[in-house]
Amino acid sequence: MFKYILEGAGNINWMAIASLLTFMAVFLVSAVMAFRSKPAFIDKMANMPLDDSIPSFNAENDRHEK
Amino acid sequence: MAQVEQFQYDNAIVRKFAYATMVFGAVGILVGLLAALQLVFPALNFATAETTFGRIRPLHTNAAIFAFVGNGIFMGVYYSLQRLLKTNMYSKFLNEFHFWGWQAIILAAAITLPLGLTSSHEYAELEWPIDLAIAAVWVAFGVNMFGTILKRRENHLYVAIWFYIATWVTVTVLHIGNNLEIPVSMWKSYPVFAGVQDALIQWWYGHNAVAFFLTTPYLGLMYYFLPKAANRPVYSYQLSIIHFWALIFIYIWAGPHHLLYTSLPDWAQSLGTVFSIMLIAPSWGGMLNGLLTLRGAWDRVRQDPILKFMVVAVTAYGMATFEGPMLSIKSVNAISHFTDWTVGHVHIGTLGWNGFLTFGVLYWLIPRIFQTQLYSQKLANAHFWIGTLGIMFYSIPLYWAGWTQSLMWKQFTPDGFLQYGNFLETVTQIIPMYALRAVGGTLYVGGYFVMLYNLVKTIKSGTFQAYEAAEAPARVATAGAHKGEHWHRWIERRPVQLLIGSTIAILIGGMVEIFPMVMIGDQVPKIESVKPYTALELQGRDLYIREGCISCHTQMVRPFRSETERYGEYSKSGEFIYDRPFLWGSKRTGPDLHRLGNKYPDSWHYNHMLDPTSMSPGSIMPVYPWLIEDDLDNSLLPAKIAVLRTLGTPYEEGYEEEAIADAEKQAAEVAARLRKDGIEGDNLEQKEIIALIAYLQRLGTDIKPAPQAGN
Repeated sequence: MFKYILEGAGNINWMAIASLLTFMAVFLVSAVMAFRSKPAFIDKMANMPLDDSIPSFNAENDRHEK
Repeated sequence: MAQVEQFQYDNAIVRKFAYATMVFGAVGILVGLLAALQLVFPALNFATAETTFGRIRPLHTNAAIFAFVGNGIFMGVYYSLQRLLKTNMYSKFLNEFHFWGWQAIILAAAITLPLGLTSSHEYAELEWPIDLAIAAVWVAFGVNMFGTILKRRENHLYVAIWFYIATWVTVTVLHIGNNLEIPVSMWKSYPVFAGVQDALIQWWYGHNAVAFFLTTPYLGLMYYFLPKAANRPVYSYQLSIIHFWALIFIYIWAGPHHLLYTSLPDWAQSLGTVFSIMLIAPSWGGMLNGLLTLRGAWDRVRQDPILKFMVVAVTAYGMATFEGPMLSIKSVNAISHFTDWTVGHVHIGTLGWNGFLTFGVLYWLIPRIFQTQLYSQKLANAHFWIGTLGIMFYSIPLYWAGWTQSLMWKQFTPDGFLQYGNFLETVTQIIPMYALRAVGGTLYVGGYFVMLYNLVKTIKSGTFQAYEAAEAPARVATAGAHKGEHWHRWIERRPVQLLIGSTIAILIGGMVEIFPMVMIGDQVPKIESVKPYTALELQGRDLYIREGCISCHTQMVRPFRSETERYGEYSKSGEFIYDRPFLWGSKRTGPDLHRLGNKYPDSWHYNHMLDPTSMSPGSIMPVYPWLIEDDLDNSLLPAKIAVLRTLGTPYEEGYEEEAIADAEKQAAEVAARLRKDGIEGDNLEQKEIIALIAYLQRLGTDIKPAPQAGN
């Protein structure tokens, strides 16, 4: 049955190969670029969630088990 | 040096979504527990339409996915987005519109699904007016998110925000694509695509609902809240970049693995399999990135329940994303598909990954916005262990049940006959596993209520800080790329370009898989003998949809000897060209029904729907007395015929005028056969059961010779 579909669609083998090549391109480009980034920039980005001033409460003694 | 600006983080909207998460989590898992118990004790269907498994199951999945996880996503996004961008939200009005709009949608779902108003597309069951409301609220969320991004004080967008952007754009595309439907009335519509095309689009949606609603936003939350809870940066920011691009590119392709060995063309199945297997690489990259964030802090994991929840969540993500690719291998899928294995697999994801990460975030976030400490670490630890046991008691019995039942389906005697020819034997065998699964669910529910108690006590002991003062330097926007700057650093400063890049990445897979199927729709092999449903059969089919029969019955005989021996000729794509929507199903708690037509007399179906155990002793199927008591409503029939003709079903011009009379004529014939078999009843021909019997007797008969008279 799928041969019939394939005939209807024309030669679509190129689709599978193009898909794989596109993925490889996306993967390789993002990998190369990620690892070429400057360490200082990566450090800044990685620390971004920690870079705010959450109030710190030392309320250990308030906990009901204590 | 830029001027330092004062502003306030809006915790009010975060608290609203947190409360909604807590409430709807309880609703979702309680309804799930009811569904689990119904499979062990069918009396818990209560012989009432609104509480029957076929309607309860979509209520559970929608509550868990869109109410619990959905509100959990928004809670985490609204909290983290403001802090990562050093700004408050773009619009308070949009905050409120988003929150109340989403809750209204949940309320609408909670009303319409038990009423049987459903499109039957899994995880997209809601009818078209609610689909439109979802679109409006989702757009409001997007405007609010992008507005916030554009007014940010931080130049670069942290990776969590990329995941939020990819989530937003992909869910938009999926929601539109899978809900292309033509309304018949306020609460009834037919999808634009039929049969195999509808199936492909539904599972392109269904798989990516898991990917882009249950996974990518939660990865964003993981990349924000795990470093916060561990108080250390993510293990590798480079890995997170690769994780993001590889994951969103690959995920979109994997949908066809839900349709292996079906009538979907092989090339689409193969693409789905290949990309599903590839998916393990970015998924595990993300999981390892999460776990390795705790390097050097494992001693804290022993004591801190928040980190415990997060570690098990990330581990569950790793397990589910290992299992997913394995289940996409065709030879494994041949065993696992349609069994409880899939249910166990998906619950590792929802209970472990989504549930536990949400719990970790709630335990971390509630004390902070209420400026206090968690009421009880001991109770949180107790919740952790009860919940973990609950997941194990839930999943392991279902894996066992899946294997057992599948092997029983496939077991032949030495003489070449099916060893378990009665499907029911394979169900009763695994009911103890269903009971154990319900025990697991009960434990999980118990742990959840321990958390609710702990959080309520925490809330009562604290003071809510609706607006949290903060300050940050004003952003100095940089117009162009710096010399020597590479593209990724450039794109991280540009949300619109990031949006476009993400859209392209997710569209490539969808286009390659779906376009050929849609464009060559006319090429699906036609079978001369396959005709449109009669008016009465169409009504019966809509009752089948209303009752959620698809929750337990498939209509897809796969090309295995064990299936053709049990059910008959395997299913062909040409048989489904008038099926709007397709009803192939994804789980066999009961047998496949595609070749059910003419297998039993009409009276068998009548008695079976009235009390399944009268025909199949030991059956766990619910009873459907209302189908026998209620009159069939034919008022929408002409409009249904007109809409289906518009979509390409070859009903003759003017047939809608004759459709009701035609349906009544066929109903009289069915009623006469029932009376001949001794079934009496006032106005029998007007009852809903008549239409359902007409539909069930039609199933699969287009390519099956009609029985000879007297047989």
